[in-house]
Amino acid sequence: MTGPHMETKLDEYVDGTLAAHDRASVEAHLAECASCRAGVAELQSLSASAARLPKSIEPRRDLWPGIGRRIGQRATWNVQRFWRGAWAAAAALVLAVGIYRLFRVPRSDFRVGEGQGWVAVQADFDRTTSELGLIFAAERARLRPETVALLERNLAIIDAAIAESRAALARDPASAELRQLYAAAARQKVELLRWAARVAAS
Amino acid sequence: MHSDPTDLIQRAQQGDRTAFEALYRAHAGRVYALCLRLTADRALAEERTQDAFVRAWERLASFRGESAFSSWLHRLTVNAVLLGRRAERRREQRVFTSDDPAALERPGGADTSSGSALDLERAVAALPAGAREVFVLHDVEGYRHEEIAELTGIAVGTSKAQLFRARRLLREALNR
Repeated sequence: MTGPHMETKLDEYVDGTLAAHDRASVEAHLAECASCRAGVAELQSLSASAARLPKSIEPRRDLWPGIGRRIGQRATWNVQRFWRGAWAAAAALVLAVGIYRLFRVPRSDFRVGEGQGWVAVQADFDRTTSELGLIFAAERARLRPETVALLERNLAIIDAAIAESRAALARDPASAELRQLYAAAARQKVELLRWAARVAAS
Repeated sequence: MHSDPTDLIQRAQQGDRTAFEALYRAHAGRVYALCLRLTADRALAEERTQDAFVRAWERLASFRGESAFSSWLHRLTVNAVLLGRRAERRREQRVFTSDDPAALERPGGADTSSGSALDLERAVAALPAGAREVFVLHDVEGYRHEEIAELTGIAVGTSKAQLFRARRLLREALNR
């Protein structure tokens, strides 16, 4: 028989990947070498046995529950991440626009269009906090009870500040200081709700 | 379930998990067999089977039907196994031992394999990882060396050398 070089050739011969020239050379050798013929027969038998092995083996347990759980988690996580990002951007935009509207109106001009810009700012704020509040309500079960209690205490304090500044602004709509107080409280509430939604979704 | 595979794939691509479960039921045996032979470890094969189907779910949108779904899925499976192996490199290599022969039974749990087939399964499982992967992909699954090189990131010459090594070791093991 032969060295490693011929053994490699025999493997390729069995696989049918030898060039014509090499194939002829191997066949000439095989005609004279019983040991290599036996080797080729063994390789052919091995390859044929491997190709006949069952292509399908059922797992011993049902693997679907684990797969279903994982793809469900990822889908939920993706939806949460989308909404988290969307609401963060929306809330930031509403706040920026609101603050801009509040402070761009000169005090001397305010009474001319009294109420118009202010009503729009309050409506934006109410809508944003309402929507963030709904997200928080939907996700609050994922937070620890003590975290929810702390959040609710802080939201109650902020809501009281907002209510007070609104009442004061109703009495003195042109007050820049009151508008600043209102904007600060509004920003705090939006930030707190955004934080709560983010933590609950993570 | 006897739904049309194309319909199942389209529904799964639109996010229908029930359709995807039906695809899992249809292909789990093939994917698990591939994972089992590539890893030579039942627990790892179960993990990799799950990994492969999760990856398939995530990438379903990229399946355009140029190849058969099963071919696409098997390529994902090989990738999942190889990625998993890289992650597991620090763990001790696990191989089948003679006290765990039932791990490679045929579907249905009953051992209907011929003695020589079971001997071959055991011998393949005991091969070094690199030689085993190439042997399984080439001789059992029918991939060409060029495809194996592309899938596994090794050179075509390395694939040929690993196959040669695997066959030599198998012949020695089966002739004992």
